[in-house]
Amino acid sequence: MTLKVGLRVGMPASKAQAMISNLVMIDADPRADAAAVERLALWCLRTYSPIVAVDGIDGVVLDTEGADHLHKGEALMISGLVNTLWHRGLTARAAISDTWGASHALARLTGAETTIVPIGETAKAVVGLPIQSLRLPADTIAGLATMGFATVGELAATPRAPLALRFGSEVGRRIDQMFGRAAEVMEPLRTEEMVEVAKVFGEPIAAADTIAKYVRRLSEELSAGLEDRGYGMKRADLLIHRVDSKAQSIRVGLAKPARDPGRISKLLCDRIDQIDPGFGIEKLTLTAVHTEPLEERQMSSSLIAEETADVLPVVEILANRGAKLFRVTPVATDVPERSFTRIGADAPESGASWPDKWPRPPRLLARPEPIEVMALLPDQPPVVVTWKGKRRKIVRADGPERIFGEWWIRPRELQAVRDYFVVEDDQGERLWIYRSGDGMDTATGAHLWFVHGVFG
Amino acid sequence: MIYAELQTTTHFSFLRGASSSDELFTKAAELGISALGIADRNSLAGIVRAWEASKATGVRLVVGCRLDLADGTSILVYPTDRSAYSRLTRLLSLGKSRGGKGKCILHFDDVEAYADGMVGILVPDEADDICAAQMRRVSKIFGSLAYVALSLRRRPNDQLRLYKLANVAADLGVKPVVTNDVLFHEPGRRQLQDIVTCVRNRTTIDAIGSDRERHADRYLKSPQEMYRLFPEYSRAVARTHDIVDLCRFDLGELQYQYPDEAIVPGLDAQQSLTKFVWEGAVDRYPEGIPDKVRKSILHELKLIEEMQYAPYFLTVYSIVRYARSQDILCQGRGSAANSACCYVLGITSIDPETSDLLFERFVSKERDEPPDIDVDFEHERREEVIQWIYRTYGRSRSALCSAVNRYRAKGAIRDVGKAMGLPQDLITQLSAGVWSWADDIGDEQLRSNNLNATDYRLRLTLELAKQLMGAPRHLSQHPGGSC
Repeated sequence: MTLKVGLRVGMPASKAQAMISNLVMIDADPRADAAAVERLALWCLRTYSPIVAVDGIDGVVLDTEGADHLHKGEALMISGLVNTLWHRGLTARAAISDTWGASHALARLTGAETTIVPIGETAKAVVGLPIQSLRLPADTIAGLATMGFATVGELAATPRAPLALRFGSEVGRRIDQMFGRAAEVMEPLRTEEMVEVAKVFGEPIAAADTIAKYVRRLSEELSAGLEDRGYGMKRADLLIHRVDSKAQSIRVGLAKPARDPGRISKLLCDRIDQIDPGFGIEKLTLTAVHTEPLEERQMSSSLIAEETADVLPVVEILANRGAKLFRVTPVATDVPERSFTRIGADAPESGASWPDKWPRPPRLLARPEPIEVMALLPDQPPVVVTWKGKRRKIVRADGPERIFGEWWIRPRELQAVRDYFVVEDDQGERLWIYRSGDGMDTATGAHLWFVHGVFG
Repeated sequence: MIYAELQTTTHFSFLRGASSSDELFTKAAELGISALGIADRNSLAGIVRAWEASKATGVRLVVGCRLDLADGTSILVYPTDRSAYSRLTRLLSLGKSRGGKGKCILHFDDVEAYADGMVGILVPDEADDICAAQMRRVSKIFGSLAYVALSLRRRPNDQLRLYKLANVAADLGVKPVVTNDVLFHEPGRRQLQDIVTCVRNRTTIDAIGSDRERHADRYLKSPQEMYRLFPEYSRAVARTHDIVDLCRFDLGELQYQYPDEAIVPGLDAQQSLTKFVWEGAVDRYPEGIPDKVRKSILHELKLIEEMQYAPYFLTVYSIVRYARSQDILCQGRGSAANSACCYVLGITSIDPETSDLLFERFVSKERDEPPDIDVDFEHERREEVIQWIYRTYGRSRSALCSAVNRYRAKGAIRDVGKAMGLPQDLITQLSAGVWSWADDIGDEQLRSNNLNATDYRLRLTLELAKQLMGAPRHLSQHPGGSC
């Protein structure tokens, strides 16, 4: 925007004001900017990935390898990230690619909100980018431009030696980093509240048993560190640094803050099979990235109080294996489809109770299935029901139970009515069926019949 | 086929009923219902409107009341004659004096003490032990006039419930009678009924959950439909008319009963008034009563005698006299200022000698309704006058008037908006744009307020607010009136 109207970095303020009337000028505050970027990076660390670093003065870089499946794929993760930031008043550009260098360039120099470069296609994506995207000092860029280089592709196709002679090795290094030919280590962001323990191995380790042993040891150290500060952890990251300077990570979460070393190491060891040690592991780092104050409480004596089984550890193990866990809780409404909702496995009891006065079928079909019936209008139960080609003679019935649409939710439900019947066929099977409409006025429903649940 | 609806709730069961008496009686006439029994909750407030609607439509009104007792029992009571009606009003006064503002606390014992001559219809819940106990009690209190209401709820096990209730009733000698538990006159009022329930419970429609009225089809149905719905209980449907025949009480039987005013010994009310008037006239005109005034006083006294309003003038005179003796400022106003008698009694201060008064604006034979003398008292000392009235006439014989607060456009939008969960600032904006009883809160108004006219909730809110306008919201104390 500022560039479009002709403002440039380094321009005198008076000139800028002369060019544009009513120009609002705010003093630059690099320190506050840096703090804000760091806060953003921390939020990314908690939400997205264990390895997050501040990138330059205006960016955040994340190693999302193995983290995207938690957000249903790269595309959804990245658009979700941009949308979330937009709701918080930040306009963000994001890119995913094989290398830090390429992502840095793509996020800044293509206009797109989100860019995803598939694995192995980095070179194709960056050859057309201008040389300004190479994270080189300004005078180097100016020199290269004087020599006639415009794009990364042109520069990459030029012999290295003359360039190195004139501009030093930096140009070649940045090009290699962008194309993924040279490794670039990300120093993960850490804060005061995070507790970190590490173990460096003189001799690289690789066997699962060995890794498990050191994970247990690290868990104990971490637990001691947390206790010193009075913290419990809710989320921990295990970083595995390999000898080929690649990093892997395992993230585990707890439902409630805790610092029991057994529980932490159990959750981590559960997932050791996901670690690819490659040529060996030279360092393990265990960090409690999300901590909350935790006080020890005395447990009541089991002599008196009946100890209730705590399912939390099981819930945590299943959740860390990637299972989506939920409980079902009743909702106070007459509409069967809306009469229950999913809540988190560890959510507190809502206090709502299932209706007992007016029984509902234990099995509710996900979608009502159409049936053919013979019934007298307006409110008699059917005498014959045909469901999935099976004809049933009805011998007993109760109803109608008249259920109105929740008219305040959407216009279609303003007049909608369903008449529910419990019917029993000559085999003794009980069905919960309904007719849309009240049997008199077709505005309330089309008088079609459905089965919605099964008793017994 | 003959059927009378004996469980009708008007909107005078505040924030519960969703239709006015006019709407109910008009609909009943259309459907061929012979009589409507109006039974508002612990109140007779809606009876006068119902009586008028009944006269206009020819559908008979059966005056009644639904007593919600402290233990959760609900009984519909219908007085059969005037003395039973006055017992019912006394019963309600007792409950309300116990309950305080807006509440009414009654027990079975109270009902028993006042139930003579009343038809009692128990409104049962499930056919369980509690219900049996209630029915036994109702049977004992009302004897041969004890009934139990059979209504469809359109909920599971409806027929079983009716069957069991009928059995329990037969065991205890209570007669079943079919009612419909009407809350509104036509099915389209269901939404408004949900909204007023939200207002009553101070919640929003999204949060109300199972506090909604959960029994369906609470609208008036034709006699044919009622017989069709209760094929097993046609005797109980017909029985509604037995009750209508039993209840011969009509609101027209009530008349003003004016108390005897404390008067000069040996004189009747008219004579005392004449005496006070001439004494006052001498005080007002020490130089002799002008002819014009003398003529008006004679004319007025004649008319007052014909209409027998003398005790009323004496009452006002004694109140004013008391106020004057305590140096409490007071001043008559309004149409009473047209009266020379009021002037010489010191109630008003417009000299009939200097102005042309038209006494007929105040009292006239053509307009056969009691006169109304407004007197303003100094507001800091108004309480003293009220206390004097209580002392003089007795607490059980004097009362402050109540006023019915009705919904106007603003209040309706505010309450419906809140119940629909609209944000407070939007409600303020909407209601600020409404100035009158305008029934044209439409797209135009929305657009000029920069609101989305196609928003579903907004449209519903305005639509429902329109329906709610004019409905009574609560009773309050009239700022001045006492009687």
